[in-house]
Amino acid sequence: MPSIKLEGITKRFGQLKALDGISFDIDGPGCIGILGPNGAGKTTMLKILTNIVKPSKGIAKVNGISVSEYPEKALASVGALVEQPEFYPYLTAREILSFVVKIKMAKDEKDEIRRVSELTSITGYLDRKAGEFSRGMKQRLGIAVALVGDPDVLILDEPTFGLDPSGMKQVRDIIKEINAKREKIIILSTHLIYEAQEVCDRIIIVNRGNIGYDVHNGLSDHVKIELEAPVTGIDFPAELARKYRSDGNSIYIEKADGTRNSDLIEHCRKMGHEVRWVTPYNDIEAIYVSLTK
Amino acid sequence: MNAGMRKFAASTSYYFRNYYRSRSFYLMLVISLLVSGLMTYFTFKYSNNLTDILPNLKLTSVSLTTKESVFGYVWAYVLIELPVFSSVFFGSSAISSEIENRTAFQIFTLPISRTSLLLSKYIAAVMVTIIITLVYLVIQAGTFLLVFPAPLIGGFFNSIWLLVIFIFSMTAFTFMISSIFNKNTYAYISVFLIYFLIFNAYQIISEFLYRSTPFYLLDTAASIVEKVYLNVSLSPFNFSFSLNPAGYSDIMQSILVMIIYTIISMAVALIIFERKEVK
Repeated sequence: MPSIKLEGITKRFGQLKALDGISFDIDGPGCIGILGPNGAGKTTMLKILTNIVKPSKGIAKVNGISVSEYPEKALASVGALVEQPEFYPYLTAREILSFVVKIKMAKDEKDEIRRVSELTSITGYLDRKAGEFSRGMKQRLGIAVALVGDPDVLILDEPTFGLDPSGMKQVRDIIKEINAKREKIIILSTHLIYEAQEVCDRIIIVNRGNIGYDVHNGLSDHVKIELEAPVTGIDFPAELARKYRSDGNSIYIEKADGTRNSDLIEHCRKMGHEVRWVTPYNDIEAIYVSLTK
Repeated sequence: MNAGMRKFAASTSYYFRNYYRSRSFYLMLVISLLVSGLMTYFTFKYSNNLTDILPNLKLTSVSLTTKESVFGYVWAYVLIELPVFSSVFFGSSAISSEIENRTAFQIFTLPISRTSLLLSKYIAAVMVTIIITLVYLVIQAGTFLLVFPAPLIGGFFNSIWLLVIFIFSMTAFTFMISSIFNKNTYAYISVFLIYFLIFNAYQIISEFLYRSTPFYLLDTAASIVEKVYLNVSLSPFNFSFSLNPAGYSDIMQSILVMIIYTIISMAVALIIFERKEVK
């Protein structure tokens, strides 16, 4: 079972304390969203987990192995995309993937390159040099590199950065698909609250080098319904909703016991409203804003 | 081959590809071809008119070996600078570019030791520098075979292995400087300043004031390549080795200095690279 443990991680860059004694455990598979404003310490935390920087104090472990003490061993089960990736410009995407396959000692090089390139839709670009890639293509290649070897732990730092809306959806779908198999730990750092809410099982908000909030996402009794048109004249009976409020096209609902999302959709339709989508909702945005003020 | 060696071989191979496809490589190749082209032109034009460039020379008394030595000296003068420029091109940005171009974000997260990464990049840089230098040497050999009926002096071959040691030490030196900086420009400028300005200034001061040649400087040690090339005179294409009259102790001292530079430079580069952080 994959695991991650951060024990009292402090990181100083000169006078600046980027992380201040952060600790948390992740035991077993799941997708964990890391939210936080710029400079909060999110990326520093991920850099420590991937040996890009070393902690000033504390210990980071992947599958029980200390990253700073035994980086080669610990990173063998990690696939990472940290910050906006750059690659050796004169190597083709196929060569970069082949290099990573060899370093990660993955089997069946050709099959592995085909698998990750199909997942990230870069198959048609494999023989182009990385130096010719656009920002979005580099991002896709970075995700493909992270997926090589089917690692236990996937660390993705703003993986949808630079992608067009369909590319963003595709990346989220890949993450959801991997997470659905319940085999890996996926750490997703993002600025997009809705992205974390949509994809993650647990959300950690980092602020000023500390963990400000750590909660399991998608509480089953809180949902947000997005309608095709602004909300007018819609009521929910007590057997469907304990509380609800509307705002523009959105309705925020605390469901009554036993209410299913399909019951709510059905009710909206009966009231003459087409539902665009329903998503878990637990007011992360409000918490985020209050924490990071 | 064990896992560590396989990873090392793979990264050397990919670094080598990235080097030989780079603009720096083609630029150095063009420079090498241009310089050797000019030298070839010069050799053809003046091989029978040495008095044009050396007016005091009595042409009738010049033996073929002397003629060859005169042109050999001119070719060797350029030859010793070529690996320096190549090493600066390929080595000075070796580590700083990983930070400046942000490729470190990818390679540091891979399950390969930083020592392996650095050593494989070093070997790749040495290989491309040797290729650039070989282009010049092959053209020189071809020119000499055509111009001088009595072919190359033996020192030409004997100096090549010293040149290879120099390439290893010069590249290691540029790697060390590169490890200190996170910006390529600083690394390039520092190598040039140290090698061409500080070393030369120190050498001049030492020779003028203290009447001693600082044998421990890399550029002084590298001059052994010229010495061996020009002084060792063997039968044409005879690979049997003789150290006279370049001097056994001179050669061994220079080799030792170059090896020490290689070891210390790489040790420092490895220590710094191992602790390198990308903020």
